[in-house]
Amino acid sequence: MASSLHELPPHAHNLLRVLAEPEAVTSLSSPEWDMLLRSARSARLLGVLHARLATKAQAFELLPAPIRRQLVAGQLEARYRRHKAVFLCESVARVLAPLGMPLVLLKGASYIAQGLSLADGRMPADVDLMVPRQSLDDAERLLAGAGWQLEKTDPYDQHYYRAWSHELPPMQCAGQALELDLHHTILPPIGRLKPKTQALFDASTPVGDGKFRVLCPADQVLHAAAHLFQDSDCVGRLRDLVDIDGLVREFSAKDPAFWDSLYRRACLHQLGRPLWYSLTLCCRWLDTPVPEEAASKIFTDFRPPALSRWPLLGLASQTLPPVDPDSEPSATRRFFATLLEFRALWLRMPPWTLTYHAFRKGQRSLVAWWKGTRIPST
Amino acid sequence: MRVAEITDAGVRERLAAKGLTIDCGAAVVRIQSDVPELAAMLRLLYGAFQIEPDDVVTDASVMLRLARGSRRVFRPQIELWLDGNRPFERYPRDTPLPLVEWGVNFALAKRLHCYLLLHSGVVEMGGRAVVIPAMPGSGKSTLTVALSQRGFRLLSDEFGVVRLSDSRLLPLLRPAALKNESIDVISRFAPDAILGPRFPKTRKGTVAHLALDASTVDERHTPAQPAVVVFPRYDPTVEFELDSVPKARAFGRLAVNSFNYEVLGPDAFDALGRLVALSDCYELRYSDLDRAIDAITLFVRRADSATTLEEPAS
Repeated sequence: MASSLHELPPHAHNLLRVLAEPEAVTSLSSPEWDMLLRSARSARLLGVLHARLATKAQAFELLPAPIRRQLVAGQLEARYRRHKAVFLCESVARVLAPLGMPLVLLKGASYIAQGLSLADGRMPADVDLMVPRQSLDDAERLLAGAGWQLEKTDPYDQHYYRAWSHELPPMQCAGQALELDLHHTILPPIGRLKPKTQALFDASTPVGDGKFRVLCPADQVLHAAAHLFQDSDCVGRLRDLVDIDGLVREFSAKDPAFWDSLYRRACLHQLGRPLWYSLTLCCRWLDTPVPEEAASKIFTDFRPPALSRWPLLGLASQTLPPVDPDSEPSATRRFFATLLEFRALWLRMPPWTLTYHAFRKGQRSLVAWWKGTRIPST
Repeated sequence: MRVAEITDAGVRERLAAKGLTIDCGAAVVRIQSDVPELAAMLRLLYGAFQIEPDDVVTDASVMLRLARGSRRVFRPQIELWLDGNRPFERYPRDTPLPLVEWGVNFALAKRLHCYLLLHSGVVEMGGRAVVIPAMPGSGKSTLTVALSQRGFRLLSDEFGVVRLSDSRLLPLLRPAALKNESIDVISRFAPDAILGPRFPKTRKGTVAHLALDASTVDERHTPAQPAVVVFPRYDPTVEFELDSVPKARAFGRLAVNSFNYEVLGPDAFDALGRLVALSDCYELRYSDLDRAIDAITLFVRRADSATTLEEPAS
């Protein structure tokens, strides 16, 4: 692991090392601590850092007060967000109960609902919920009746989301601190990879008191991998990789058949490639343990061609970690981020749709620049 | 070594290199900058503060930069960077100090969840704190600063930092920000007070800052126990009106006027409840600053000296 980490800048190197081995903090100097805290905060991993240090590194109470207070601040913010996520879920469960359809929690909310230890210290910004496509309109109607409103978007954005995307625009409700993202599948339906949505629902299991369901363990890992490498520009998304590492460790510890299931489901959903990228970086940076037999199948069968994997691994290595806290993002990083943004768009929609979308976005950017205002990105 | 003991050029060098690191009490702040004119302003307003070593852990590190490209020359602008992010729009180059101060305040307000942060001024006398919650246009800053010029020690003009374990108020010392008429009022009220340059046409109007003196800075780690809460309202039509505020109502008004009450949940409830239980709470409408200060001085002296908190285990 040390040999592959050396290609990362020091602030990212220390953050990853400490996440993988919390005991390593005992060797950090004050300036390194300063960088670590700032990088972790920037990566929205401050709460996770606290959780790992508090449980694994015996010396947490011996840390100097200026360090402890920042970690505690991360812990308290994570506690708040977790509480708000649970509150949102309970509220939405009541609103959507009349429809009697499966409500599948995705990502952060599902980790909380399952009581996974990887949820400790996470800072969810929203709750992702997946419902069957045929129930989407009814769900939207019920939520609207309960005060949920779609983020204000123009007609083009509305069309983008409803026709081409796997989710509606984010929904907000007075009294709810987090947003609700309503999905009908896990990747854009017009995208290049088409996971088997019905299989996702069929393999889902009830959680907690049964109001919600979660994807099966293998599908949770695949969704996280797909979300990161098929549907995002990777910029500053190190926490997604930390999630995948956490999921894999926890699920493989509970179920010896997990790796086999992961391989089979990756084949079924054709998500082997994002899985390959995720596990490669997880192993390199976070020492994720992958048994030999599983490793040989996954890393061989799902390996992308060299022309794809070298650039993507290179770009991801530069963009996934948080930016150096002491400087603005370098021109290189900004350029790589742009390339990855194009890549995400390329994967998200077919060429003609992409051209049209690029044209509309460009048009809107020009108008905004002329007016001197900022616009949210779609 | 205090900041005032090095030259402007010395401050400028530090800002351009590892930065100027300041212990404000409840938080440690680092400022870096390549804007040369900022150095003299910081030296004036942070003069009494000790320069901390470069290698300490900071709660907020900000960098004020000259904008690149055409904006360096044509209608020059400056930008504030916080840990690799730029949270604000660019500002004209002629407002470096307000931008730095707002940037640090922004960072601290978002991060210091280890404490309950009230939106209030805090002063103390004899170990007893006076919490002055900020209502818009209330004259909170003027009153807080004026009190600090009449025998009270300033803990903060903006953040009421409440320690969660025992509700004591902690200093978070920053140059006090005065706006518009407040600047003239304080200039007349305390002619010896060191005021920094005026910045007209900012989003908040004209802004100037008050430097803190050495005795205040040296007490930056000395907490105060809750004793008095005063909800002030400057009203030129009112000579002097004083009301007692029921504790439950004071609790509510403090909670809604806090930066992070909601984030801290039950911990905030307990800490604020304890603070209010230990405090006499008043609403004060006044037009004469001296009279208001006399009243507050009386409140503090009257505060029940029998209610002394135990020292927390360190």
